[in-house]
Formats: sequence, structure tokens, C-alpha cells
Amino acid sequence: MKIMKRFRYPISLGSSAILLALAASSYDTGLLTVSAGQAAERTPDSSSQEVGAAARTTSGLQVVYDFHSSEGRNVEDRSRVGPPVTLQVSDENAVTRREGTLDVTAPVLIASDEPAQKLNTSIPSTGEVTVEVWIRPAKIDQSGPARIVTISQDPNGRNITLGQDGDKYDVRLRTTDTNANGIPSLSSPPGSLTTDLTHVVYTHDRSGRTRIYINGEQVAEAEIGGSLSNWDGSYRLALANEFSGDRPWLGTYRLVAIYNRDLLPHEVERHFQLGPEAAHASKLADARTQLFNNEIAPLLTRKCLECHDSYAKAGGLDLSRKKAALAGGESGKAIAPGSAADSLLWEMVASGEMPQDRPPLSDEEKASLRAWIDGGAQWSTDFIDPAVYLYDRPRGQVWLQRLTVPEYIETVRSAVGVDIDEEARKILPPDLRADGFSNTAYNLNVDLGHVEAYAELAEIIVGRMDVLEFAARFSESRSLSTDDTMRDFVAAMGKWLLRGPLNEREVTNYSGIATTVASAGGDFEEAASGIIEAMLQSPRFLYRFEDQRGDGTAWPVGDYELASRLSYILWGAPPDEELMRAADEGRLTDPNELAQQVERMLQDARAVSRSLQFATEWLDLDRLSSLSPDRNRFPDWDDDLASDMRSETLAFFEEVVWTQKRPMADLLNAQVTFATPRLATHYGLEPQRDGLTRYDLASIPSRGGLLTQGSTLTIGGDEASMVARGLFVLHDLMRGVVRDPPACVDTTPVPTEPGLSQRAIAEQRLANVACGGCHSKFEPYAFGLERFNGLGAYREIDEHGNKLLENGVVLIPGAEQTSRYESISELMDLLARSDRVSRSITWKVTQFALGRPLTAADAGEVDRIHETASADGGTYPALLKAIVMSDLVRMKQTEAMP
Amino acid sequence: MKTGTISRRTMLKSVGGVTIGLPLLEEMLVSSATAAEAAVPVRAFNVFFGLGIPAPLQTEGFDGVLEPLRPLADKLLIMRNVDQIRCDESGINAHYDGATGSFTAEPPDGEARAGGPSLDQVVRQSLYPEGLPPEMVPTLIGGTFFRRSRVGRYVHSYKHDGTVAGTMQEKPRDLFDRVFGRVGTTDDPDARRQRLRRSVLDAVVDQYKFYTGANSPLGATSRARVADHLQRIREYEQRVYALAGRDPDSPDVPPPSDVAHGGEADPGGMGIDITLEELTTEWRLMADLYALAIQLDRARFGSITFLAAGERIRLTGDYEYEGRKIFHFDDAAQHNATGDQGCSHEWWHKYNPEKQNEQLRAHAHMKMREVAYFLSKLDDPDAVEANGKTILENSMITISTESGDGRHNDVKRELSGVFHAITGANGRFKTGEILDLNAEGIDVYNTMIRSMGAEGQLGPADREMRPVDAILA
Repeated sequence: MKIMKRFRYPISLGSSAILLALAASSYDTGLLTVSAGQAAERTPDSSSQEVGAAARTTSGLQVVYDFHSSEGRNVEDRSRVGPPVTLQVSDENAVTRREGTLDVTAPVLIASDEPAQKLNTSIPSTGEVTVEVWIRPAKIDQSGPARIVTISQDPNGRNITLGQDGDKYDVRLRTTDTNANGIPSLSSPPGSLTTDLTHVVYTHDRSGRTRIYINGEQVAEAEIGGSLSNWDGSYRLALANEFSGDRPWLGTYRLVAIYNRDLLPHEVERHFQLGPEAAHASKLADARTQLFNNEIAPLLTRKCLECHDSYAKAGGLDLSRKKAALAGGESGKAIAPGSAADSLLWEMVASGEMPQDRPPLSDEEKASLRAWIDGGAQWSTDFIDPAVYLYDRPRGQVWLQRLTVPEYIETVRSAVGVDIDEEARKILPPDLRADGFSNTAYNLNVDLGHVEAYAELAEIIVGRMDVLEFAARFSESRSLSTDDTMRDFVAAMGKWLLRGPLNEREVTNYSGIATTVASAGGDFEEAASGIIEAMLQSPRFLYRFEDQRGDGTAWPVGDYELASRLSYILWGAPPDEELMRAADEGRLTDPNELAQQVERMLQDARAVSRSLQFATEWLDLDRLSSLSPDRNRFPDWDDDLASDMRSETLAFFEEVVWTQKRPMADLLNAQVTFATPRLATHYGLEPQRDGLTRYDLASIPSRGGLLTQGSTLTIGGDEASMVARGLFVLHDLMRGVVRDPPACVDTTPVPTEPGLSQRAIAEQRLANVACGGCHSKFEPYAFGLERFNGLGAYREIDEHGNKLLENGVVLIPGAEQTSRYESISELMDLLARSDRVSRSITWKVTQFALGRPLTAADAGEVDRIHETASADGGTYPALLKAIVMSDLVRMKQTEAMP
Repeated sequence: MKTGTISRRTMLKSVGGVTIGLPLLEEMLVSSATAAEAAVPVRAFNVFFGLGIPAPLQTEGFDGVLEPLRPLADKLLIMRNVDQIRCDESGINAHYDGATGSFTAEPPDGEARAGGPSLDQVVRQSLYPEGLPPEMVPTLIGGTFFRRSRVGRYVHSYKHDGTVAGTMQEKPRDLFDRVFGRVGTTDDPDARRQRLRRSVLDAVVDQYKFYTGANSPLGATSRARVADHLQRIREYEQRVYALAGRDPDSPDVPPPSDVAHGGEADPGGMGIDITLEELTTEWRLMADLYALAIQLDRARFGSITFLAAGERIRLTGDYEYEGRKIFHFDDAAQHNATGDQGCSHEWWHKYNPEKQNEQLRAHAHMKMREVAYFLSKLDDPDAVEANGKTILENSMITISTESGDGRHNDVKRELSGVFHAITGANGRFKTGEILDLNAEGIDVYNTMIRSMGAEGQLGPADREMRPVDAILA
């Protein structure tokens, strides 16, 4: 172990230290809500509880004790993460308990009855740990070290212990590089421990970086190598003493929290500033936030917003916005925070009068609504976006991701250097689209055809490889003996092919093939071939495996898991050697290193290919391969035009995103395109060179942007349906939500005729009370596209002589006011400037990156991704970087194990 | 035991009178003196067991660890003081040397090759130079074993070039498929390829099984997805291996094996835990099927292995013989050790002629019981042939092992006094005796070859032959 202490002591007492002094002073006089007071002081427009809820991180939290129970022997774990680790006071006479405080006045053991299983499991799993305390030591002359917090067995065996050693703090951490007693330990500098109320934080990350902070300031740092895999699962958690009873600590506890990740310096600083009461305040606020996010917002979306959103606003009441909802409607205030009985909304719902002409709320829904109003009607957002609540993913349900066909092809190419594109596309069953993308994990199921294809492809792949040359990358030996070098060879090759180290079971399993080959008189090449063939069909090759065991909360992803997430998100391919090295060395946990890796990977051609896959999926370009317009109506149609349209859009996407490096929203109005002579003629452009050629559209106001390209215009079919085009814009560019038409509605398209253009037919629908409510949300987007026929050709008069228009008025989802446009180009500019469009693209790219539909639980993080990417230019690389750096990628949802 | 025995009679009954395509079955059922000589084929098999019997224990005859062979004593020739020291190859593990030399008389030649042919193959090649009838498996190799690494530990039939004479069938089901599935020749590339593909698929299946099992790192949702994938693989497996190429008249497929196979059976030489019941259930099913293949004349040459050379298992369970409790196996606890140091293998290394060696004796006794189980299958009423003798009596069956003393510190001692036994081969060799031969294995084997009417000999061509006539009837 390499210890490299860096002291920055004495602590410089800044404003936060002064606030702390105030806190300590107030605390000593019994004013226990002092930290909340601090928060209110700093942010006068917020309630103290809301600030606490927003500021104190719960990511990775495993146990927290806020001592807000002043009776009995139990000290409750209030983390609400997995099974609680309840502590018991061995001698009640040795402690004094007040709300939020536990004074240890005589030697005592405060310990769990059972092993601290969730700590002993989750912390080794992540390889990271934080121990955070707010304490006041009773005296300086305590040593042993005197145990403040410990997960241990006796004086000689521990997983981790934070203790007092005279005038300094000492932390012992068991790793594969330290001994069973956690020695060498890391100490704070001499004199750093005082008898004041003190915030002490110890953090250790997977790369070995280990720090102690006192009152928000780092005071010691060391590199403690090794993994935490040797933590003893049988050890219990204790406060104030060792289990042997001979290392007592006396003093006051205000807060003890343990995380399975390392808190970052800014988080430590924030926790210090929030004070010891923030955990308690955050717990209360968190419960309210959860109620709104999980119950109320979905309920309002499903039951109320059809008539009471910003567009319909029936009775003048808009329940989609916090400010408008609390303001009320034509009948006055609808919600009286704190009193459901005084709320008109509750009265109407309770009586069954609302929802009008719809089924009443269930008893459970009514109970939630009433509890929410009685609890103060807290909102966690200013605006309820229905799209956020579209998917009701069961909490904790995590789908394993199978490689899609393109991912399989690229993985084979990257892993063994064989191009299997043609065969794979021919014999692998195609991946089907779900929720707009074909990489949606829950839909990536497996049938017999997959198994047959994987077996056949594995044989073909190995047949094309120079197996001996490939094997030489991992072993110089040609021995078949599993006692000799075969196991090492399997381990090395498997780590590469399966994207992470193999365990003993796996090495043994694959080595068995060598045994069989040997017993059949085969040689090393045959054995290596068989092993590769097996690995190519193994679950770890065909799926993106992650350890999903946990407690139902989000945990940091492992090094190799993160490497795979990065590579598949950015490239749709496995990690390269550089990325594997970074994972080997635990460097990916360092945000700077991670950012550098992303920058490097975005320079690779595979990043471009992956982005084109996104565009293909997002815009459903594969649809073009089956485009078959009515030949009688379009006698000049050439089937090759469909292919040209696809090429146009992909080349355009690459030009805007990669060549010009423009913000993603510019895809809507960039004045450039790419066309073959055939497509240029179809568009009415003067054909230039052969092949796909770049065309500047600055002087052609009717063209420019994705929505003016044949690939998207053909979504309307031969009739250039305004419904289909409008819904495409609403769903795929706006993330707007409309309900399906009632079953009784005749949806047969009305044909155009002299005097009746598509626009005129649409306006009739909008004027219809039964249809207009929904159709007015999307058809006006298609008004601006009316001059493009079903195949994307531009005209100003239709075949019946009707004059075609290009103006309209749209209500962008989430906006309070409508927007008017007069021309195609104005509509494109409107969309390109729209924050909603920009955020929707972020949403779509994020969905594709994660391979699953996003839910309300993701909304906050997606917002942060968007803000980060926008601040960084709003480009595709900026967006990908923000996604990869976000908790959606760096954290994984675990499932609670029985 | 979890399964009943399988005999020709029960097997025939199980197929409901369907005639199994057996070219010699009718002749075997005819008890005709005139047809006897022609109807009794030449057969040669080797039965191998791991770790051996220390020479001093062999002197106890059937009163010691050889007790289970006593019921067959009249049909066996026990040969003591047979020396395999010439098989020592510097730097190579003596387990491997001794095992490879067993009935080849030659040291190994590389990881997967013997130094020469095995006895059964010399006879086969000499008497059937044009090959065996196409209905037969040319060389049937099977076994219940766990130690892997080098092939010589568990395969005991080698061709003249020292390569394996057939593919090891280590699961009863595999052996069943080999006998009743598509018929192929020794070098049939399809059969061999199929075996390797099967091995690949087995490894794949094991991976999916793990990820759907109790220790899977996956949550319930993902585990269900992988379980679905595994079901599809099972379907694929069924279509590719269970349906294709199967003899339509073959009996039902035996139950799947419950013990470890492939790589899992030998986790880096550290040994596996296994109960006596698991071990004997697997072995006896294998032994039943192998014996059935011989009875049905689907195989005339080959070898069967009960525990490999240098086998590493941690055996548990009560061991009884004829209603008498012999021992309670609990290797790890009795060694007070884990991993490889807790395996029964260590009893051989700890052998001390001055002590009782209770554990080693119990293990060796149990092995003899299981060897006797197989041999007795060839000696039951179903196995009576046209000449009125049983297959056991008519065949040349050699029983071999690897070492005569488990202590690794003296190779000469370790490879001397290696236990050997043979059957009469239709009156060619003495039976009902225990002989102290004081001879080299190579001379014993070459004497047997000559007696069988086969051409050629084992070992260096220029070596002077030293016949061991004492074994001849």
C-alpha cells in the first residue's frame, strides 16, 4: 500500500465554519432546528425542508441515523434503503437521548444484532465507501482508537472503523492491500480533533483515493490500494465501542451516515453547510416529493389534464402548472394547501362530479389526492409534462440488454476482426421496434431462430479467423493442459471477448472444452476454436451483463460495466484495449478521466456510425425500404428514390452533427442537403454531379431541415396525411401526448377534391368538437408541409387545382401561448428554436443510449443532461458526453435480493 | 441408488419387443456347441481405476481391499509385482506416467498422446485390419472421472500412433448416444465434430444455467429473460442432438447426469465435493450402459474408467459392503483441510506401510466394489454366450491402475508393484490365481498379445522379448 498524506491544516474558517459555530451554539442551547435555519438564511425564497431535500445527496446512501427517536433502546436506520440496520443500546443508563441527539456519557455498545449485511454486501460490490458523522467528542484523551463507528468483530478484525486517537481521527479500512485490522490506517493531522460539534467524512473510491474531511475541508489524503472484496460479511455495525467492549468512545452523536460510494468534495462541502439536521429534514421533504412524483403527477395526467391542461384549460383551470393550479380557475381557488376539506378540487373529486364523463377516481387515488393536499400540496416541478408519465415502469424492474443485430456485428468485428455483417443480417431475426427504437431492452427477446443463428454464426466466425494468431495475443503456449497454461489462456482471452474478467467458475467451464478436444485427439487450435465458439454464444457475449443485485436503489456501476456502457453508448461496440486498461486501473471512476475517454472515443469512426444508427431509428428510416406508392398516381416513381432519400437524411445528419458540429436542433432548419441527380430532379432542384452531392439550400426557402426531406415527408403516405405527419412531429420531435381516437370514430381518410384540399379537410376536423381537442395539438404542424406531396415533391397547387398553403398556428407542448408561422421556413425556424424540440432530442438520444423508455424517475437527470449539453454547445458530442457523465450511466438500478 | 440397473433383458423389455438391429443377437441366443466357436467374438477392454493399490496391501489378497473381487476370483488372474518404472518420464507427473503406461507399457508422448498403442487396440488392429462391422462402435471409451488436465489420466485406448482411439464419453447419455445414435467409424469426422460441438454447447448451457440459478448476479426480470434463452437452447439441443441421427429402434434415453462434467468437474485441480451416492449412481449407469453395449455386440474394444489417475474428489457418505459398514467417508474433515489438500488423493500420498491407512483402504475397497460391479454385468445370465461361458470369461479384459505406492518421493517405488488383473480370454490365460510375476509390464502385455493371436508388440522393436509364460493357461 502506498500512503501519501497531504495535509492542509489548520482549517481555514470561512463563512460556513461561522455558520457551523452558530449551529453548535444554538444546538447547545437546545435549538435543534438550527441547520434548517441556516438553510433558510442562505436561500430565503425556499423552505428549509425543501432546501434540505434538494441538497443532501441520497445517492449511494446505505444507512443513516439521525437520532430522532428519543425513547427505547433502538436507534433506527432511516435510510429506507433495503432492510434497516437497527442498532441497540446495550445500557440505557449510559446514554442520554433527546430529539436528534444521542449523548454517550459512559462506556456502552450501540450495535446491530445481526451482521450488517447490506453494508457488507453493497460496499465491496461498488468498491467505494463513505462514512459521515456529525459528532462532538466528550474529551481529547480518548484512544484505542476509541470507536466512533465500526463494522468489525473485535480489536483485530474489521471492515472499517472510524475512531478517535487522541487529538486526531483515525480510519482503518480493510482492503486486499491492508491487513485484517485495516492497517495501515489513515489519520487526520494532530490537533485536528476538538470537542466542538464536528462534521467528519471519510471517503474511499475504487481507484484507491482515500480522504478525510473535517468541517467540509479535506485534511488528509492517501492512496489505499486493493479491493474491498475481502470484507467479512459476518461483521456487525456498532457505535461508541468495539464488540470486545474495551474501546469505548464518549461524546455526542448527531448524525451517522454510510454510503456505498465516495462522496465528492462538493457534496461533502454541501453536507457540512447543511448541518446535522438536514438528513432529517430531507427525509420529510423526500416523502412529499415521492408522493407527488409517484402518485399525484401521474394521477393528474391520467385523470385531469385532458380538460385541464394549458391548452384546454376547462373552467379556466390549468392543473398542469404549479402556479396556475394553485391560482385556481373561474370558480376560484381549486386547491387549499394543507386542507383538502377546503379545496374545491377535492370536493369535486370526492363527490364524483369530476372527472366529467369519465370514470371516477379509485378509493386509493382519492386517498392519495387527499393526503397530498392535506400535506401542503407540495409540487416537485413547475410543470407536469404528460410525456414524463407516459411509461409506468415498475420500480426495480431491470431488463438485461441483448446485443442488437448492428451491435452484434460490430462486437464481432471489434473483438475478433471478422466482418459478419452479411451473414448476420441474413440469418439473425431482426430486432423489432418498441417505443420508437429497436434497441429497447425489454423487447429484445430470444427465439429458437436466434439460438440457431448464434450457433451458426459462431462457427462461421471461427472458420474465418486465424485462430492461432488470435490466440497468440493471449498466450504464447500451445499447451492443452488445464494444469498448465490453458486456464490462463482462457482467462485472458475470455476477459477480452466477454468484456471483463472471468471468475474461476467460468475459466473452469470453458477450459473443459480443451479437455474434450484433448481427449478426442485434437490440438490447441481446435481447442481454442471451440472455446471461442462457446464464448461467442455465451450470455456474457450476447448480453450486456451487469451485476444487478442490490437493495432496489441505484448503485455505482462497476469498472468494466462502465467501460461497456461507454463503448456501447458511444460506439455500439465493445470496449477497446484503452478502455479496458482504464477499467483495469479503476480510472473510470475519476470524472476527468471519464470525460477524456469520452472525448477520445468520440473521435472514432464508430461514434459516427452509432449516431447514424440513432438517426435511422429515431426517424424510422428502415420504413423506406418498403415504400410502395400507388403507381397510377405516381407514374414517375422510381424505387431507387427511397434509397436516395435514406442516404440524403443520413448524409445530412452527418454533415450537421459531425462536419459542421452544430447543435442538434439545427437538424430542423439547416440549409443544406444531399441528393442524387434522381432525387434532385424529384425535388425540383437542378441536378449536379453524379452520386450523392451536397446542395446548398440557402436560396430555396421551401427546403432545409429534416422535415423537408423525402424520408420524413413520406410518413404521410400517398395522401400526404396531415394526421400522420402531424403525429410524427408531435411524438418524435415534441414528445407530445394525445389519446387514441375513440373506437367509434371513422378514421378513413377523406379524399381531396376540387375545392377541398387537405388543409380544408383538416380544418373541418379541428372545428369538430369531438375531434378538435386532440387534432388541434398536432395537425397544425402539418399545415406547413401541405405543399409537399406524399412523396416529398414540392408543388403549390394540388392535382385538383386547389391552392396549397404553408401557414399555421401551433401550441408547443408545455407552452402557454400559441405560436404562428407564415411559411415552411418559419415553421422550421420555430421548431429549431423551440426548447421543447431541443429537450425532446435530448430525451430521444438518451433513450437510445440507455436502451429503455425514460420514466418520471429519470426526468430530473435528463433535464440536467440537457442543461449541461446545452451549455456545452448542444451538439451531439456534447449531448453524449453529458449522458455518459450523468447518473443515468454511472449509476445502475439494482434489484433487492431476498 | 437413484436408478435401477440396466441390463440387456430390461432394455429389450423396455422397448416393447421392438427388434434392435443387432447382427449377432440371434446367434448369441442360440446355445449350439457347433456354432459356439464362431459365435464368440474376440473382445478386448480395459477397466481403469485411479490412484492404485499400494503393493503391500495387495499381499492381503481377497481378505483386504480386494475383497469385492472375491465373487469373481475364479474368472480373474491377479498379477502382483508388475513393474512400470520404464514409463517414468522425467518432469512429468507420476500419476500421468503410470496411467498412460497402463497396458501401453510406454511413457506418454505429449499431453494428449501415449507412447504407443494400448493392448486393446493392438488386438483390434490385428484381428480386424479392415475395421469392424459398420453397426459397431469401433472403440468405445467411457468413464466416470473428474480430474482432467492430461488425457492420459482418463483415456486408456490408444491407436498405434499414440493418439486416442475414440472420443471419451463422459456422460451416460453421451455414451448412450454413441452406441445407439448415428453409427460412425473411429475416425468419422462427423461423429468427432458432433462430440466437440456438443462440448461447446455444454459449456454454453452451463453459462446460461448459472445466470438463471440461485447465484446469478441478475435481478428477477433479467433472469427470466436468460431463462427463456436457455429454454430455446434446450430446444435447439433437442433438435440437433436428440432427434437427429438416432437409431429409431433404440431404447429410451437414460436420465441426464447430475454430477459435474467438463471444466466444472476439475476446477483447476482443486477437487470437487461429491457424495458416494452421486458417484456410484453416475458410475453404475455408465457401467450398465457400457456392459449393455458389449452384450448387444455394439462394442468389442475399448476402455472404461472409474476415477482418473490422480483423481481429486472430496468424498462423503457411509460406505457399506454386503450389509457391513466399512467406513464413513468425509475426506475434507478427516484431512482437516480444504481444496486439493482435502481430497481422497492425499490418503495415497500419506500412505505409510507401518500404519493402518484406514481411509486409503476404504477408498480402495470401494473402488474394487465398483470395478466388480461392472465386471459382474458381463458375468450375469444375460451375458452367457454360445459356448456356455460368459462374456467376462470369453473376453480379454484387463484391469489396470496407475501406481503401486502413493508416495511421490520415490518414482521407482511408486511405479513398481502396480496392481494388474486380467480375465481368461476364452481359456487363454490362467484364472482363479494370484501370481507374483516380478516382471515388467511390457513383457506381460506382449505375452498377452501373442497369446491372443495378434501381431506386433508393444515397446521398442529392438527390445528382447521376455515372455511371462506364468500367465498362460
